[in-house]
Amino acid sequence: MTRSLRTVTALSLVARVVAAQSGGADPRLVARLDKPTYVAVNAIVDSARAAKLPTAPLVDKALEGAAKGSDGPKIVTAVQQLRVRMTSARAMLGSNSTADEIRAASTAIEAGVSGRDLARVKAATGKRAVTMPLAVLTDLIGRQIEATTATNLVIQLEKSGVKDPELALFQRNVRADIDRGADPTVAAQTRARGLLQRGATSGKPSE
Amino acid sequence: MSDDDVKMSQIARVLRAPVRLSASFDARVMAAVRRLPGHERLKLWARLTTPRTVTLMPLPWGLLAASVALFAVLGALHFVVDIDRAAKPIASALFPAQAKPAPQRVQFVLVAPDAKKVAVVGDFNGWDASHAGYQAQHRGGGVWSVTAPVPVGHHRYSFVVDDSVWVADPTAPRVVDNDYGVPNSAIVVPQE
Repeated sequence: MTRSLRTVTALSLVARVVAAQSGGADPRLVARLDKPTYVAVNAIVDSARAAKLPTAPLVDKALEGAAKGSDGPKIVTAVQQLRVRMTSARAMLGSNSTADEIRAASTAIEAGVSGRDLARVKAATGKRAVTMPLAVLTDLIGRQIEATTATNLVIQLEKSGVKDPELALFQRNVRADIDRGADPTVAAQTRARGLLQRGATSGKPSE
Repeated sequence: MSDDDVKMSQIARVLRAPVRLSASFDARVMAAVRRLPGHERLKLWARLTTPRTVTLMPLPWGLLAASVALFAVLGALHFVVDIDRAAKPIASALFPAQAKPAPQRVQFVLVAPDAKKVAVVGDFNGWDASHAGYQAQHRGGGVWSVTAPVPVGHHRYSFVVDDSVWVADPTAPRVVDNDYGVPNSAIVVPQE
């Protein structure tokens, strides 16, 4: 073995040791993705880690794609788009936002909530977590309520001090009304009005 | 002009006359200074600060520099890991509220009269439909349910019926999914 070859071998070995030290690659990704997809997803996860974004949602998104039988390019695209949405979400919510808030906000962005509306909801919740309000908002939009209308309703409820369990009950009531044939927007506005009239913290809203 | 003024003018003329030194004067003065006994610390300082020419071979010295850099990175990583390991139990003991909250048990229910098998998959179990703890049981009348641990926080999930059909939970907030084309549900597990 020539001296140069020995040198290259030694450097490769050291590089592998360094890679193993700093890796943090999720073994589930290795097991469930093909190699090119794994390499691409892992690169996105690494870049998110370097940007101090939560990485678990990205890994979950890749695992979800594998479970649903999506092909590699689709999985990589989904993970990359989620990373972009998470970056926007954190920018809107602030650098001290939690991983759950960023996850919920990126889901809301995917549903069509604008960055401006995201910031408005965050401002309305004050120091409370914005996770549940965003989950309810995303659900309302998913039930064909126009994004601005749904955002304004959630902001009204948050400003009046509605707590997370009451917000969850509001969402269930609206869904039940829609399932019974009500117009989604009217159902949401009516249930929100009832909640606001009863007083934000006085108890459960009317059924 | 007084006599004093005349004398002063003569002295000034002498002092203003240029002094011619030999070319080797500076060198002789500096040589004499160097011969004087110096302080030990000054000698060491002089040795460290005196410019000198060093010849380096690129390959061996480059490899040495790369090795030093790599070992520094490894050392820093070990330091961070060790500090992290040492700090976690201390932080948990001092600030119990900051410890990771225990998962909450959540009941998932799906009405699927024709199903042969129902499983829950989501962020909380790595989207693994074969996960033993998330297999729903048939309770009769087409009602399937499972109560399983879910970590505190926001999660997306779905039901998988007969290993092939993905069904969003009709009782939970819906999540738009433009990525894989199959809608999911959302759950926010509060900390108790």
